[in-house]
This record gives sequence, structure tokens and C-alpha cells, in this order.
Amino acid sequence: MAVNGTERAEQLFKVMGQRVIRDVAESCGSVRRIRVAAGDLSLEVEWPGGEVVAVPVAPVPDGVSSRPAEAPMVPEPAAPVLSEAGVVVRAPLVGTFYHAPEPGARPFVAVGDVVTADDQVGIVEAMKLMNPVSAETAGRVTEILVTDGQPVEYDQPLMVILPVD
Amino acid sequence: MFSTVLIANRGEIALRIARTCRELGIRTVAVYSTADQDAPVVRFADEAVHIGPAAPRRSYLNAAAIVEAARKTGAEAIHPGYGFLSEDPDFAEICAAEGLTFIGPPPAVLARLGDKARAREVMADAGLPVLPGGNRTVDTVAEAVERASSVGFPLIIKAAAGGGGRGMAVVREPHDLPRIYAEVRATGQAVFGDSRVYLERYLDGARHVEVQVLADSHGGVVHLGERDCSVQRRRQKLVEETPAPGLAPKTAASLHEAAVRGVRATGYVGAGTFEFLVTGDGEFYFMEINCRIQVEHPVTEMVTGVDLIGEQLRVAAGYPLTLTQADVQPRGASIECRVNAEDPRRGFLPTAGTVTTFRAPGGPFTRVDTHLEAGQRVTADYDPMLAKVVVWAQDRRQAIARMQRALSELAVEGPGVQTTVPFLTEVLAHPRFLDGKHTTTLVDEMTAQA
Repeated sequence: MAVNGTERAEQLFKVMGQRVIRDVAESCGSVRRIRVAAGDLSLEVEWPGGEVVAVPVAPVPDGVSSRPAEAPMVPEPAAPVLSEAGVVVRAPLVGTFYHAPEPGARPFVAVGDVVTADDQVGIVEAMKLMNPVSAETAGRVTEILVTDGQPVEYDQPLMVILPVD
Repeated sequence: MFSTVLIANRGEIALRIARTCRELGIRTVAVYSTADQDAPVVRFADEAVHIGPAAPRRSYLNAAAIVEAARKTGAEAIHPGYGFLSEDPDFAEICAAEGLTFIGPPPAVLARLGDKARAREVMADAGLPVLPGGNRTVDTVAEAVERASSVGFPLIIKAAAGGGGRGMAVVREPHDLPRIYAEVRATGQAVFGDSRVYLERYLDGARHVEVQVLADSHGGVVHLGERDCSVQRRRQKLVEETPAPGLAPKTAASLHEAAVRGVRATGYVGAGTFEFLVTGDGEFYFMEINCRIQVEHPVTEMVTGVDLIGEQLRVAAGYPLTLTQADVQPRGASIECRVNAEDPRRGFLPTAGTVTTFRAPGGPFTRVDTHLEAGQRVTADYDPMLAKVVVWAQDRRQAIARMQRALSELAVEGPGVQTTVPFLTEVLAHPRFLDGKHTTTLVDEMTAQA
């Protein structure tokens, strides 16, 4: 996380980030990916299709902004900026992560989807046994941290779900 | 030779295996549970994979997790160490099916010898002496009573799948037989998933002597002498040494020959240990085979100069042994003491806590195999062994003096942490141990007096 300041600043940023995500997600429909950076106060929204839109954000009060601009504008696949604002779904065992029930099928979930705690969000295959991964938390999928077919370790973060009240 | 080996174990043996791999230029993969994430082997290995939570069933005993970790890291072979999956024929078979080399005997040999009742039968057929007991499991109380009348008392009931000192109990009086029979069956089922048991005559006051063997897949078989492991509590070894003190050269030679015969009769490949009971008048009886590297292997390494893990790796890769029987020339004496997190004053109850101070002994001919570091938490999740202190000297007397010196240097301290060290120093100073006249009952006698 790019915030380098006081605990209060982090707290403020977290709340701000959550609100932005909720607002964007609700008003813009099916969003693939949202990234909130702290350094130069940027917000990135990615819709299915891959285009990245940088939305300018109003400056926050003095003392909250911290490091000079260094957050990249292009999303990085494994930068869980939002993890602190959401619940991380972790791999229940070592194996290969699959995002869909079978090759070519629709993924269980995509970023922006709203899931219930019982919903299956992926599969970890170990020795040809397909082990379902469930969301465990009701909320909106804000980030998927692994790619389809990627080997994962036990307890490795797979995706982030932002609880919905 | 393998380019990458996965080590499916934890603790000192995982580190021990990784060290030889490094010396042989083999890339190592460690696997670890959540409880072991700060273990030295995780840092030492070239790669480490988190395979599960602390519970062994979901980590170190989880064949699927280990095979997946091997696949993920490109390992070609799996070294199982001791305990956990090391003698599991199903795991060896899974490895073979997945194109991974299991560093141990072939699955079929493991299945035949891992079943203690069957191993006994196979060895009796190969001409090795076995204690009276009949060559089959006893599957009902009535059968047990009938068999007991021909075997005689005291006798010992053993779980066919047992190991590590668990799943066996001595019966001294006929009226205790049904109760103890049921208990051992229940333990066998609970601990090893197999309730079958067999009976054997029990020898009071015998010595536990075992023979280390190595065999390759080209017909090469050597023995590396014997180890005496008579200092045991609850059938778990505390002190091991080689050569066995007071063992007549003729008896020792017969033991070695019997072990080699057993290897040849079974098509055994890899490192293995044949355990025998030896009586005061030099009679000996085959007990069981350990189809893996053993905790006490360093004493053999110290007197022979052979790296047993290195030989295991070479043999598993299909190479012949680097030595013939003539090359095995044991020299001097070596002793190992197991330092466990146990309280000898409270029946060797495992103790838990955080180790705040750890100082390992050093000095001449002193080897310490350990995974312990200051700041480490000792938990009840795994075996309580913290370290193995091993010394070499030109003779037994000097080796005992050296071990006493080494143990006096060792410091393992922390709130709640007790170790076997005070008890080990008592054993080393015990007149019967000094004379080399002790048997497997020594520890019980010492604790009964205390």
C-alpha cells in the first residue's frame, strides 16, 4: 500500500477507498478492476474489454497525502491495493487454481460480481481432485489475484471480496 | 543425478537431507506447514512450498499436497526422511504413477516389509531366526488365547502396521491377554488405520541391536555394521551407539550376515535397518525392518565415513553404490544422544514453550543435527525431538567422556521448556551403561528408582 503516513491517514484512506469502490461499482455497472493509488491520488477503473480509465480524484487534506507520485498508471496484476479493505479468499490446499468449472466455460466469478458466502468462486485441483473454493463472505469481488491454471500454495491469496452491508 | 529433490519432511532431518543435496549440487525444495514457516530448512532450501496447516494429516501426511508441490517446483524425486510418509507404500505408488522417484525401496517391497507380521514371515522363510509366535496375525480373542498358550508368557502383542514404538504391549499374565489384545488392536486402528496384530514371545533384559544396510538396483548390497539402541523409554530410543558394546565379534558377524541375507531375499533397494533382539548368551532374533533412513544414522556415518543420505540419493537415481563391503572399515566409536523437549521427572511428558536460549556444543568430533534456533516455539504438533548430539572418539570410554562434555555445553532454555539432557547425563554415568551391560530395561529401572 502506497500510504506511508500515520495510522489516521491510513484509516482515512481506507474509508475513502471503500466509498470510491462502492460508488464506482454501483454507478458504472460491471467493472473488471478498480485501483486506488495513494501517492498521486489516482483512481483507475477497468471495464471488461480491458480499457483503463484514470479518474482524477479531489485532493485530500494536508497530512493525509504522503509519498511523491510513483504509483504506476497501468494496473499490475498482483498489487492487492484493496486487500486491506476486503476479505481475502485463500487457497485451501496446494494445487492448480481454475476460475471456471471446465476449460472454456464461463468463470465462476469476475471482478465486480456480487457473491454470497456459499458461492463457489474457483477450483483448486490437486491430483485430479477438484476442490471447490467458496467465497465464505458475502460481498463484491474486487480483485482476482491469480490467473486460470496457476499453481498455488496452501493459504495463498486468491481473490478479494469487499463485504456488502 | 536428480537436478531437483523435494524433501517431504520437517525438523532436523529435512535440513540434514537438504545439506547433502546442496553438496551434491542438487536443487532442494522444502515443504512446510504453517507452524514451520520460520524453520531453518525453509530458508536453506532453494525453494519452499507452504503445503498446509500444522496438523500433519493436512500437511506432512498429505500425499496430494506433496505431489502438487513437487509438480509446481519441477522436482523429480521426493525424499521422505523418517516418519510421516517414509514407509507408506501407497505414497510410494502415487509418486511412481506421477513420474516422481520415491527415495526408498520399491512400493511392493515397502508393502511387504512395512507389514510387520508379513516381514517376520518373509525373514523366517529366508532363514533368519525369529521369536516363537507363529507366522500369522491373530484376528480374534479366541485365536489370541490359543496362540498364547503355545508361545508362552511373557509375550508381546504388536500391531502389524505399528512403528515408532507405538502399537505394542507386553502381556505377563494370561488373564490380561484379552484386555491388552483389544487395546493394541484399538491403537493399531486409531494410529495406523489397521487393527491387525500378531504375537511374539517377549524377552526381558535383551538388547536392541540393529544393522544398517545399503542396496542398489544392480545387486550391490553392503552392511555398515550395527548400532546398539538399548537405552529406550516406552520403546523409544534415547541413546544409540556403534559398535554395540560387548557384542562378541562372532555374534556381530552373524547379525550382519543375516541382514544382508534378508536384503537379498526381498529385493530391497535403498538404505534400510534390520532390528534384532540379542540375548545375554548371544542368541539373536529378527524383529523388524525400517525401510527408510533412521534418526540414529549419524553414528554409522561417523565410524564409516559414508554419507548415507548421499548413497540413498545415488541409489534412487539408478547409480550403483560407491562402495563395496571391503570399503566399509568402521573405525572408533560413536554415540548419539537425543535431546527431546520432555520432562524426565514427569514420565517424559512432552513440554511446550518458546526456546529463548539455544547454544549447541562444538569442539572436536562433535556433530549436532538440529533445526532448533533461539526464539523458536516448541509445540505439541510434532515429535518433541529438538537435537541430536553425536560424537566420535577412538574408543567407547573416550566417546562417553566427549558426550558428557558436549552435553554440558548444550543450552536449551525457555519458560516451560524441559529437556532430556539431565537424564541423558545420568544414563552416560550409570555403572551398567559404562560397563556396556545394560539392556532395554535400563531406563525403566532408573526411573523406578527415582
